[in-house]
Formats: sequence, C-alpha cells, structure tokens
Amino acid sequence: MKIGGKLVLGLAILLIVLPILSLILYNLEVNPISTILNKPNVFIDSGYNTFYLLIITVFISIIFGLFPAWFVSLYSFKFKYLVDFLLYLPLAIPTYIMAFSYGEILSYTGPFQLFLRNYIPALSPFFNMDYLTIEVLGCVLGFSLFPYVYAASRISFTLIGQSYIHLSKMLGLNTLSTFFKVVLPLSTPAILSAVFLVCMEVLNEYGATKYFGVNTFTTEIFKTWYSLNDIGAAVGLSVVLLITVMTLYIFEHMYNAKTKINYKENTQLDFTFKKKITSTKPILFCIIPILFGFVFPFIFIVNNVIENILIFNFIDTLILAFNSISLSLLASLLIVLVLFYVLFVDKEYKTRASKTLNIFSSIGYALPGAVLALSLIIMSSQIKNNVISVSLTGTYFLLIHAYFIRFMAVGKSPIKSSFDKMPDNLSESAKNLGLGNLGLAKKLYLPLNKFALLTAFLLCFVDLMKELPMTLILRPFNFDTLATKTYEFAVEEMVDLSSIYSLIIILVCSASLFIVKKINHN
Amino acid sequence: MYLEVNNISKYFDKKPILKNLSFSLQKGEILSFVGDSGAGKTTFLNCLSGLDKIESGKIVLDGVVLNNESTFIEPQKRDVGLVFQDYPLFPHLNLKQNILFNLKGFDQVEFDRLIEVSKLDSLLEKYPHQLSGGEKQRASIARAILRKPKLLLLDEPFNNLDKNIKSQIINEILQTIKKYEITTILVTHDTNNLFQYSDKILIFKAATLQQFDSPVNTYCNPSNCYCAELMGDLNKVVIDNATYYLRPENIRLVKKSKYPVVVKASVFNKSIYKIKGKLFDNDLMFNSSKNLDAGETIYIDFNTKDLINFKKECEGYFES
Repeated sequence: MKIGGKLVLGLAILLIVLPILSLILYNLEVNPISTILNKPNVFIDSGYNTFYLLIITVFISIIFGLFPAWFVSLYSFKFKYLVDFLLYLPLAIPTYIMAFSYGEILSYTGPFQLFLRNYIPALSPFFNMDYLTIEVLGCVLGFSLFPYVYAASRISFTLIGQSYIHLSKMLGLNTLSTFFKVVLPLSTPAILSAVFLVCMEVLNEYGATKYFGVNTFTTEIFKTWYSLNDIGAAVGLSVVLLITVMTLYIFEHMYNAKTKINYKENTQLDFTFKKKITSTKPILFCIIPILFGFVFPFIFIVNNVIENILIFNFIDTLILAFNSISLSLLASLLIVLVLFYVLFVDKEYKTRASKTLNIFSSIGYALPGAVLALSLIIMSSQIKNNVISVSLTGTYFLLIHAYFIRFMAVGKSPIKSSFDKMPDNLSESAKNLGLGNLGLAKKLYLPLNKFALLTAFLLCFVDLMKELPMTLILRPFNFDTLATKTYEFAVEEMVDLSSIYSLIIILVCSASLFIVKKINHN
Repeated sequence: MYLEVNNISKYFDKKPILKNLSFSLQKGEILSFVGDSGAGKTTFLNCLSGLDKIESGKIVLDGVVLNNESTFIEPQKRDVGLVFQDYPLFPHLNLKQNILFNLKGFDQVEFDRLIEVSKLDSLLEKYPHQLSGGEKQRASIARAILRKPKLLLLDEPFNNLDKNIKSQIINEILQTIKKYEITTILVTHDTNNLFQYSDKILIFKAATLQQFDSPVNTYCNPSNCYCAELMGDLNKVVIDNATYYLRPENIRLVKKSKYPVVVKASVFNKSIYKIKGKLFDNDLMFNSSKNLDAGETIYIDFNTKDLINFKKECEGYFES
C-alpha cells in the first residue's frame, strides 16, 4: 500500500479519535468530579430517568419488534409484503416528531380526548390526565424504535432457515416451543445488537425528552451547557454518559463474541412454511405497531398540514428542504466514499490502520450526539488556542465531521456484509489478469457491491435527514434544517406550524426506505 | 400392514411430484427408495413426516390415518423420525444436548450403546461447528434412532461417512434399527449397497412408481429397462433374432461354445478383470479372473433363465 493511502487512513482515524481525546483531556482539566460531588441530585435524577426510560422503550421495542417478525416470517397471508414494509416505516418518522405528535394527539384539545368527550363522554374523565410523562414517552419511543428489533429478527430468522424449524417439529416441539427453544436462542445475538441500537437512540434522544420534560443525561448536558453555562457539569455528564454507553457497547460485544453461533447459513432461505394463517391474532399483532408507530402520527401530521395549508411559507419550506436534503446527500456521499475506501483496503491488505479504523467506525454510533457535539466544540476551541487561530465552531466542516463520526457505522454494515460475501480468490484472479488497485475498485468492487453501496448511502441519508441534537449544537449561525425548525416550533407550542416540515422529512425518508427495501428484496 | 401408502399424489404448480403412489410395509422392514436426483424423493419424505400435505390418497401408520382428504396430523404428533440430507444439528447446543433434545426420559444403557456404535463417545461435549460432516451425520442418525419412532425416514443418510468406517457404521446402525424393529424408509440414489440392507426396494421415476419388490426380484426381474439399468450393468444379446439382456456376472468363460467373443480391452478392477468385447454385432461386458489380450477370441456361455426380456418400448433404450 502506498504512503498516500496510509495517510488517508491515518487522517480518518485522527478525525474519529481527536474529539473524544479532547473531551477526556478537558475533563481532567476542569475536574468535573468536584461538580458531580457538588450536584449529586442532577446526576442521580438524570441517571434514574435515563435508566427508567431505557427499560420501558426496550420492553415495547422487543414486544412489537420480535413477535411481528416471527409472524411475518412464519405465515403467508394476503398483503404480507406490504405489512412487512409498513413495519419498517416508523424509522421514517424521527422520534422527536413522534413525541410532538403524540403530545398533541393525547392533549386535552387533541383528537383523542375530543373524540372521547364527543362520543363516549362517560369515559372522558378517566382519560383526562397529563400524558407528558416518562411512561408515555417510553411507549412513544418504543413504537418509534421497534423496527430495529424487527429488522434484526427478520434477518436472523431468515438466516436460521427452515431446516432447524422442521427438525424441531420432527423432534416433537410445537410452533410455540420451537420459537422459545430454538428460534429465540439462535436469534439472541442479533436481537441483543438491535436492543443496543435502541438504547443508543434513547441515550441520544433530545427533542422528545425535552418536549416531554423528562430530564435524561442528554437533556441535562444541553441544559448545563446552554442555559446554565456550567461547562464542568456538562463535561462531567458527558463523561458519565460516555462510560454508560461504552459499558453497554463492551457488554454487547463480549456477549455476542461468547455466544457466537456458527449456524449453517442459507440452508433454505425461504423461511415461511407457506402456512396459511388460521387466526387473525397474529395479523392484529402486526397491525398494532404499524398503527401506533406510523399511521396515527402520519394522519395527524397530514391533517395539520391540510388545516394550515394557507399559512405556510412555502419559500422558507423549500429553502429548509434544500438545506436538509443537500447536507444529508453531501454527508452520506462522503461517508460512503470513505467507507468504500477503508473496507476495500481492509479486504485487500488487512493493514493495522484499516483494521483500527474498521473498529472505530462502529463505535461512532454509540456516541450520543450531544457528547459528540460537545467533544467537537472542545476540540475546535483547543485547535483555535494551540494550532491555528481560526475557530471551526459553527462551520459546515465541524457539522459534517460530527455526521461522519456518528453515521459511519450505519453505512458500514451493508457494505461490509456485501464485501464479506466476495470470495478472496475473486480479486486474486482479477489481479492475475492484470488489474491494479484502481482497476479492482472500478471493475470488481464497484459493480459487485453497487446495491450495498446504494443501501448504505440511503440508510445514512435517512438518519441524517432526521438528525437533531448535533445539528442543533453545531449548525452554522442562521442555518436551519427541517429537523431544527420542527423542533423550534414544537418547543414553542406550535406543533401545527411544524407539520409541513415533519411531513417532508417523513415522505423523503419513507421513499428512501422503500428503495432500500426494494433493492434488498430483489 | 404397518405402513400403508395408498394412491398418494402431490403437485407443485400443477406439476406432479408424486402420482398415485401406493405401497405398504410390515413392521420392522427396511425399504430403499431409489430414484434420480430431483425425482421428488425428499417431497415424498416430507409428506410422510408431515412437513408437507398430500393432495389426494391416504397415509396410514400403525392403524392411524396420518393424512387423507379430511385428516392431517402435525409432524410433532406423528412419532416419525426424519434424518435430513443436510444433517442439521442445533448450533447453540452441544452434541449430547442435540441428541437428547426434547427427549423426556431415556435409557442410559441404550444411549451409551448407540453413542459407541456411532463412534461419538469422545465428541459429546463438542458443538456442531467443531464436528466434521460425517460426525454430524452420525449424530443425526443416533438422535433419530434413540427415540425409537414408529417410522424412521433417512434422506441420503450415509453420504458423508468416512470411507474407512463407512461399511462398519452402516452395518451397526442398520443392525440397531433391526433390533428395535423400527420400520425404516431409506432414500438414496446410490444403488451400490442397496441389496445388503434392504427388505424391499422401491424404484421411482417421473413422479410414478416403477417397481416395488424384494431386492432379488428387482435385480433379476426388473419391471422395465429403467429399473434394470439402475440396478446394474446390462448386455444386449441377440439370439435367434430375439433381443435379450444379460447381467455381466451371469456370463461365464468356456472352452468352446456357439458364442465367440473378440476381446477389445481388459481392465484390471481390484480382484477381477473387466473385459470388453464384441459378440457378433453387439458390444459385451463381463468379468474374468484372468487377464485377456486384445484381439484374442474366447468363448462364453450363460443360463437361458438369466436372460431378461423387456417389452417392445424398451427397444433402443440402452443404445441412447
């Protein structure tokens, strides 16, 4: 490998490591331990809330991710493909938009209570309560994030194949026992990885928690940093959050390494028994998360858009849509290009640098947006003080840098699994036929992995379109995206006016997810 | 009859996989189910085990209807053991846990004996990914036999066994099956060892039964040219303008006869020589204990009772 290639890898590693290193060094400087000791209640309260919220969200995600995946895999029924796609769609709605929508839907003036007062007045007093609670937020986040568990379970069930299910039946187990004794143990590593992602999303959550008034680590970081200007407390909270995340990350990796299941992949990929469904219960169970995770908030938002159509400023909306889409496209393209290069080098040369970068690129997603943003601001100010006298804070460079670190893991997984499927002797033959590195990349890796690259690009794009906390902290002055504007209106109690922005985000993300599903189905 | 398969049919996208298949077995009999790859052998096993439903006909095991137009007993309730072609063992369980999976109460002595017979003694704590194909195959068979099912279905079960221990293991496993009187259907496309362990042979082609008979009859009196060819080599001989077929092992060398053969080649094959020659206008193949020179003329003879006569439609079958 040439020196230029090594430099690119080195630079990429530096871009990931430097912000975290800055945070840790700054942490030693400001001595946040004393801040923690001075304000124990902040840490105890936010710690308790974060943990409680995690428990509720994970529980709901597992229930509505795992069982529908089992039903869709096992049974054949009318509109199965549509149901399967709809179960992924809650990913198109950002969690904060879900929270704003449910906050309104359930409020005293919202459609739910209005319906009760008009049609079932006897029941209405029982439902007249404050819904902006941590429990409701947990359920809302659960309905928003269950597709992570659903997707992981569906993939795992498909990889398990029919053989083990048939075998289990031949050895006397019924469908239910087969699920618990065979399918579930075999899928535990995949489900655990999905649960880890759900946890990361909850720990990263800012818009929804802020709107519901639930103080978690992330909201406290924002509060201490912006409102109280208490840098020591913000850094202390960030470090505690970072340690929590890293503990979860290490636990997940250790567990999966220990229970690594070497099942014979692709035995018979068509997992379904083509079993005709005899009861409506499984279908109902699939419809509940679709209704709560997509249909209700979507209808609410569309209704808001129709009602307020005359007062929207469409020029502003177009500018915001352009900002969001162009920024997301640019960052996604950059991430996919870097990943293609890194994974290509790793597959062809297996250098220490490429391996290190391969590992670091997975850690990014585990870093909560607020922590990452804080780290980058600290890094930027240290660069300004010690290296060059130009501040990077509030520039597109720093924002894209943050996106790059956090969303590399999102794009990595489809590209890596596609590269892994390429037999080693393929590139050896190509080299033998006279192809150099550029030729290999252009004539072998690119055509063979084009769908994986497109999938990676679209998945990054969807996540970037929805991204809020990092954009909120790091965006340039006077620069807004659909996400930031939605948030600003919502916290000012003007959810109606933000609905057009929410709708654009949802439609763009739904279309992207549809393409991803179509590519992978074919 | 212990197992009755009566007129069963199965279609995939209107294409027949099984067409009016009927046969029956006594308790403890071993049936070899022979056919080309892709002939529908696995579908047949799936229908018997309950992993697939038949479209018409009836399957009765030990007096209980497993599947007909109105009844379908689920696979887990049939007491039928199935050893799959790709021998899956649960990857999250070790070999012992795999063999004892969902088995409530078992005889330790029988377990130990079966493990010993299958040569799995030292592998019980290992996980499937640490085992060879042959070891996994042996474990799958042991797991099925230990349950003593009413009907045991083996789908190409001896494919991956190591050459050195193959015949010993097959022998011992089949002895165990016989000892427990487990009615067994063994699906295979390999006809080499068929005769030594089968009570019955069923030949299957193009979704229909070609022959169902004892090994001796299947070999000596094949019902058609396909069955005859499947069971072993054949020579075409023309005697008095009539066409007959003759197995190589039924031809013997004599000093003088009315059948002179010009030797074309002699190939050494372990304990015998395979001789290729020409009898009148037809190629001939037979065995000899000694080497013969090409171009040499020798004489052969045979018993007329060994001549096989096929119907008119078989003419030209072996030339193609």
